[in-house]
Amino acid sequence: MVRPSDHVTPKKVAFLQCVGSRDEKVGNNYCSSVCCMYALKQAIIAQEHTQGLKPTIFFMDVRAFGKEFEDYRARAENEYGIQMYKGVRVASVDEDPETKKLLVRYSNGAESNVEEFDLVVLSVGFEPPADAHKLSDSLGIKLNKYGFADTTVFDPLSTSRKGVYVTGAFSAPKDIPQSVAEASGAACKAGSQVYKNRVHYEAPEIPETDVAGQEPRIGVFVCDCGINIRGTVDVPKVVDYAKTLPNVVLAEEGKYTCSADFQEIIKKRIKELNLNRVVVASCTPRTHEPLFQSTIKEAGLNPYLFEMANIRDQCSWIHMHEPERATEKSKDLVRMAVAKSRLLEPLGKSKLGVLHSGMVVGGGLAGMTAALDMAEQGFPVQLLEKTGELGGNMKNIKSEENGKATSKRLDELVAKVRKCPNITVHLNTMVTDVSGFVGNFKVKTNKGEELETGAVVVAVGGQQYKPKPREFMYGEPNVMTQWELEEKMLTGPLHAKNVVMIQCVGSRNKEAPYCSRVCCTEAVRNAIKIKKATPSTEVYILHKDIRTYGFREDYYKEAGELGVKFVRFNENEDPKVERHGAGLSVLVNDTVLGETLRLPADAVVLSTGIRPYHDNEDLAKALKVPLSKDGYFLEAHMKLRPVDFATNGVYLAGLAHWPKFMDETIAQASGAAARAMTIISRDYLETEGIIAAVNEMVCNGCGICEPVCEYKAITIVKDPSNPDKLKAMVNEGLCKACGTCVAACPSGAMEQKGFKNAQMYAIIDAALEGGK
Amino acid sequence: MSKIRIAQYWGAGCGGCDVALLDIDEKILGVAEIADIAFWPIAVDTKLKDVEAMPDGYITATLYNGAIRNSENEYVAKLLRKKSALVVSFGSCACYGGIPGLANLTNAKDVLEYVYTKTPSSDQQHTKDPVFPQHETHTKYGDLEIPVLYDTVKTLDQVIDVDYYMPGCPPTTNLINQFLGIVEAHVKNGAPLPPKGAMIASNKTLCDECTRKKTVKQVETVHDAFEVDIDPEKCMLEQGVICLGPATRAGCGAKCLEGNQPCRGCMGPTDQVQDQGGSMLSALASIYKVQDKESQMSEDDILKIMAQVKDPMGTFYCYTMPKSIIKRAVKEKKKVKKEAST
Amino acid sequence: MSQVQVTQTEAKGEGEWEPNIIAFCCNWCSYAGADLAGVSRLQMPTNFKVIRTMCSARVDPEFVLRAFSKGADGVLVLGCHPADCHYIGGNYRTRRRVALLRMLLEQYGFDPDRLRLEWVSASEGAKFQKTIKEFTETIRELGPNPLKEEQEEKKH
Repeated sequence: MVRPSDHVTPKKVAFLQCVGSRDEKVGNNYCSSVCCMYALKQAIIAQEHTQGLKPTIFFMDVRAFGKEFEDYRARAENEYGIQMYKGVRVASVDEDPETKKLLVRYSNGAESNVEEFDLVVLSVGFEPPADAHKLSDSLGIKLNKYGFADTTVFDPLSTSRKGVYVTGAFSAPKDIPQSVAEASGAACKAGSQVYKNRVHYEAPEIPETDVAGQEPRIGVFVCDCGINIRGTVDVPKVVDYAKTLPNVVLAEEGKYTCSADFQEIIKKRIKELNLNRVVVASCTPRTHEPLFQSTIKEAGLNPYLFEMANIRDQCSWIHMHEPERATEKSKDLVRMAVAKSRLLEPLGKSKLGVLHSGMVVGGGLAGMTAALDMAEQGFPVQLLEKTGELGGNMKNIKSEENGKATSKRLDELVAKVRKCPNITVHLNTMVTDVSGFVGNFKVKTNKGEELETGAVVVAVGGQQYKPKPREFMYGEPNVMTQWELEEKMLTGPLHAKNVVMIQCVGSRNKEAPYCSRVCCTEAVRNAIKIKKATPSTEVYILHKDIRTYGFREDYYKEAGELGVKFVRFNENEDPKVERHGAGLSVLVNDTVLGETLRLPADAVVLSTGIRPYHDNEDLAKALKVPLSKDGYFLEAHMKLRPVDFATNGVYLAGLAHWPKFMDETIAQASGAAARAMTIISRDYLETEGIIAAVNEMVCNGCGICEPVCEYKAITIVKDPSNPDKLKAMVNEGLCKACGTCVAACPSGAMEQKGFKNAQMYAIIDAALEGGK
Repeated sequence: MSKIRIAQYWGAGCGGCDVALLDIDEKILGVAEIADIAFWPIAVDTKLKDVEAMPDGYITATLYNGAIRNSENEYVAKLLRKKSALVVSFGSCACYGGIPGLANLTNAKDVLEYVYTKTPSSDQQHTKDPVFPQHETHTKYGDLEIPVLYDTVKTLDQVIDVDYYMPGCPPTTNLINQFLGIVEAHVKNGAPLPPKGAMIASNKTLCDECTRKKTVKQVETVHDAFEVDIDPEKCMLEQGVICLGPATRAGCGAKCLEGNQPCRGCMGPTDQVQDQGGSMLSALASIYKVQDKESQMSEDDILKIMAQVKDPMGTFYCYTMPKSIIKRAVKEKKKVKKEAST
Repeated sequence: MSQVQVTQTEAKGEGEWEPNIIAFCCNWCSYAGADLAGVSRLQMPTNFKVIRTMCSARVDPEFVLRAFSKGADGVLVLGCHPADCHYIGGNYRTRRRVALLRMLLEQYGFDPDRLRLEWVSASEGAKFQKTIKEFTETIRELGPNPLKEEQEEKKH
């Protein structure tokens, strides 16, 4: 890493947050939501890259509100020792004309400081696209005052015009997982308009060449990846080496083997030379294997007759300064791939029927939304709710962030669900056991029913943290939670001269180290309500950071303008609530002023966080899906597959995934519904090719594999040819191809297709041949 | 019909295999009907020099039992290979190294030192210059020679080419009869012999023959067989007693289990498995019950659980160390950090 | 078994031993972590070769033994963190097998540190780098695989 001006490696790097965000001067009052985490990540990467580099981040607030973001923040601070200033505004950055160092002036409370840096990084925020107005004019959709697409809390994916939907940062600044979930949600909304004309695209069947009994004829294609590989690895040498390997009939270099042109070359070579195995040495199979597999499939080869050598991500990029060794290693990796490819076999996929119906577990906002979305597109839906009524947490939420009452909304939603002919509501119902697999689940309930469904959406919600007795004097008169405050304000004005709100009660502490995301906005909203009702009431909000991200920042600003006072306290220095006769007071160490304040209080309001349900564990076990360390359901990929589980056919939405706002919940629930419909709308599904398979000549049903399988894919059954004997049977629909049972099998009867013992030995042996 | 000639020889073994051949009872008469015994030191008085004098291929079939552990074992094995049309690796020691194979944990020098100076019955326990067997001894009557003890115990097929394998400690009369039947049918009616390399046993594992009731293969605690009351009806492994049955070739009739003792693996692995010990180790580690708090367990916690298996080598490789993937113990040049547990 | 001819890679200087390490990586976490190390251009020694399995629990103890018997100086088994396994609990099986396998290797006379299990998630490119760097150093300190050494000695 070098400074652009003089190519000197910087030692001290400053990241300045909220550049162009939360800034009235530029007109972007909103928070861009993603820059805090982005800066943390960049600071960590910069430090990992350059020895001795010391990053410093100037935060106004650290807005680490996403799933496990707070853990990441803690790691950056504690493990990486990244310096973080909080509650700080940078006044100016000037260059020292002699040393070219940058002087960052900032105010920290009353104090004004200057610090010298070698490099300054501006964490710039989001803005709407420059031509958003053109788009808005031509589509006839309304923009909000900042120029983003205007949406509402209960219709977060819809623009102001019917039939035009919005997703991603165009409706508000947001991060990857939320964008991805919303994108599915928007597709769901669009689908609801056109679903009657649903067709499935089927690629034309290409007859498969029978390679059984043929001597392997391997084609090896080595990629330059522009200069990404060729810049370090001597690709022609690797090609020459590949030509010397047994059964290799062709080795060829390609500038970009993943290009469309090169796919044609690969297909041509397969046909010209009757290749029956293909090895590509390029990047990672995790991203590119499917592409090459479909290429060889188009040339009539079974897609499993393909093997990849990762000579970029795991060689040229990590050995950039050792070109000779990187070249040798590339040869090794090619030899390994060739050795395995020699033993590859064509694998078949079997077709499984699909039930065209869905199930939603949880009858709150997320569950009802997902159920309605699926029902709207014509699918019967079973909606399971463990309590005696629909509504979930929404019953406790009295108003939107802007203060609009929500109770009518809930009634409307429940009525809609109740009236919907496609939805069957099961109250007081819990899942006790789930068998079957994607497209064909059988769900047992506590009522003894067995329900069938093609896909399951998990929307079991979360619960408000209940303060422990005496925690911040909870249980005493005039100490209440935000929900209790709202309830109280519904019945009449709050008679209090001084109100003190305490943030992060039951969040960001040892027991629950994460941020509950919604409580800051909730507190700000209630503070505004109090101030508007009785302007003379003093309202204090004691916080660690105020996390009113996105357009919620407007409410934070409004609260400040109304005279709500914000006091920042340290991560590990919780305020203390004390009683003096009939009155209360709160002791807090104000980190900005650097002194302890004693605030008189007629009401103390605790902003309690969100917690997962304890019985999540039972449902997770039944569905064979994981929970995160915090007890929330854990999706397949936090960024790229935010509503999917690794288990196909099971999806996730709402508080069961992570604390979130109502609009986010709705968008995510529509996303989960869309994902579920990608399954239940199909005529059939295909099994994995690389699943476990039993050699029935050897297996005697010893039973070792059965409890080892997390997916209950293996059962020990009577041998049909000899009912006195047993054998293991793999359910192809359930097998997820992990291979755990294969390694466990003591008789050698269980094999994993594509990762057979002989194939693995070949690659191990090849790895160690020729090495020193 | 001319009679065939058979031989049986005893390498590094206990003699049980020779007795097993006699154990076929009256069937031995059938053997005598079709075969002459060309060489069988424990039963007939043929000398080695007689064998040396035989033409190559003179013996129809040699049943060689015992492992190859010294120069004499090796010499005779090679000699009999030359003189025999068929060689059968007979019994666990010949096939896998057997119990003597565990000597591969150490070397010849240490073995001799232990036997001649450290065993309770040795009268050299406190001798300053103890006496050890020497390969050559010069006496006034002439030079005497005893075989050289090798550092490494080998299986028969690691020294000579083998035609058939018949594992077992010892092979059961059932298997022996099965083989004799094959030979007899071949001699009398010209029935084809099994393909070279064939195992005269089943290719399923012992659970196939074991009649105990199986429910869920899950283990929470491992016990030694003597520590618990073993239910004779229930699967041994499910009771926490390590039984190598799932990783061991069938063919013995599950005799040990009938006697309420766990299988220790004398029949070796199936054709599909390279390393019986590794295979059973993996199986056992896999069926330990996953505990609720497993995600919070430290590596040490796991080590503690797995340390219930006190002697993995002796448990999983009791009969097969010389045939295992690693084959014998090695010596690190640098000092091993933790003291080795054996 | 493969019939590849033994093709010596170019000698890295006569007599100069370099650790030869096999790293088994699960597809979802550690292989992705290794890719991330690459994407982040984190530099590390060339002494290891990755073998991909879908789950660390596919790594049969026999693979590890096989690698040592073929001359590997060290073997790494990398999987998803506890409670983070793509296949729910595959990594728990791996952990137990490796614990037992290390006991066994010790009985064989190997330094058990020649086999190491580490958890590397898809987001831990830096941990992958650190693991490779540290393990290469550990193996460098331990010296060549004694089995290979003994075989070499016998040849001469």
